Amino acid sequence: MDDDLGARLERFVGERLGAPVRVIHLERSTEGFSQETFVFEVEVGRERRGYVAKREPVAGLLEPYDLEPEFRVLHALSDDPLPSPPTPWFTRDPAVLERPFYVMERLPGEVPIPAARADGSGPFDDAERAALGPQVARALARLHAIDWRARGFQFLGAPRPGREAAEHELARWEERIRRSGLPVSPPLAEALLWCRRHAPATDAITLVHGDYRLGNFLVVHEAGGPRLTGILDWELVHLGDPLEDVAWCASPLWRAGTPYASALLPPEEFAARWAEASGRTADPERLCFYAVLAFVKMIAIMLSGLAAFRSGRTTDLRMAIFDHQFPFLHLLLGMTRGWLAGAPA
Amino acid sequence: MTIPLEALIDGAVRTLTEAVLPDVTSRFARGQLFAVVDVLRNLRDRLEVKAALHEAEAASAAAALERAAAALGREAAAARIAGALAAAPAGPPAERAAALRAALVAALETIDVLPPEVGDPARAAITEHLAAQTMRDLALLKPSLLGEISKG
Repeated sequence: MDDDLGARLERFVGERLGAPVRVIHLERSTEGFSQETFVFEVEVGRERRGYVAKREPVAGLLEPYDLEPEFRVLHALSDDPLPSPPTPWFTRDPAVLERPFYVMERLPGEVPIPAARADGSGPFDDAERAALGPQVARALARLHAIDWRARGFQFLGAPRPGREAAEHELARWEERIRRSGLPVSPPLAEALLWCRRHAPATDAITLVHGDYRLGNFLVVHEAGGPRLTGILDWELVHLGDPLEDVAWCASPLWRAGTPYASALLPPEEFAARWAEASGRTADPERLCFYAVLAFVKMIAIMLSGLAAFRSGRTTDLRMAIFDHQFPFLHLLLGMTRGWLAGAPA
Repeated sequence: MTIPLEALIDGAVRTLTEAVLPDVTSRFARGQLFAVVDVLRNLRDRLEVKAALHEAEAASAAAALERAAAALGREAAAARIAGALAAAPAGPPAERAAALRAALVAALETIDVLPPEVGDPARAAITEHLAAQTMRDLALLKPSLLGEISKG
């Protein structure tokens, strides 16, 4: 790993802690496809502390990048019981790491990814699912219960009650598709037309994580079963309809070859558990809209990555793999919209 | 495919030389990697997507547009859809398939403003093609290495 990067992080962290530190381990993480993620450990005196630095990429999936909103949310939630990573520092100063970045404390656990195992099974066995699934549903309810006004999150832009939350999200992803400069496929066009006609109204405006799903959960395996220790990747955080998160987490996109929401619970059970824990209603009409919007959003993200790769602004070949994944997205989208037979698994 | 093959190969070469090669220390492995880069660079200007794939897609899309126009009968929308179909170039296959994809998008937009009892049969003709095309595309998709890509 880049020695210079380690030295820069040593200076940055040392200045903030007011004590000399030494980076004893530094590694670029492979899991995140969007922001650049560096996991590092420092020695402060005789103590060792783990951190994660998230840096804006030059180009990528979620352009244009601005880390500050998610930093402000994570920083404000650092004392909340929700397992979000305590996030003490952010800087735009290019003298430090060339591009803006923030540093959060490293939480224990590993990140199960949304991919089936070699034998086709999902990442969790039945006992693990039974233990972890309800935790994930409850944590999401807790996230939606955060008093965003009291926390000062108005800077995220609060949609007015009514259809604005749904329409705003749809417009946001349509704009990203347009900005990619790549053609809209017929399956995507069909979904967009349907979404424009079916944007649902809601009065329930909450904090929305925006990417709450398998792949962004930190999990520790203990004797009593797995425990959710972290909710990661807040770069799509905004204010909106909480059912956007429920539908995203339950989307066929993240089932890892299982029929379960984020490979954990049957989608209906996941929504019901979230409803029970939150005291809110999992309105089927709104869930249906956000289930279709999930594909619009994912395809928009993939098109942004492809556009960045095609233009040469990123050399990350992981962006190019999206090009041959569209048929899989179209399959799941077709099943969700009903123009392909079968239920998405 | 959204990315032209040449751009894909250029990107793969850039990744191998800029992101992978610096971390490969074994001389033999570096030699093999340079050989891969050499092969890719020389394949770059010799490859094209199989014409048969584009031809199958174009034939299916054209038939769907014909059925959609027929389902709309004397509606003005039928003439617009038929016009877009007629305007698609006869070849090369990749260009014809791309033009017909755009025509399908335009047809869906045209149908969307019609009353359901008028537009639904035409929409069904198009979604039938979308389903068939999705299955054709899926037949070419290899098992995903996303797990390996994510975990390294």
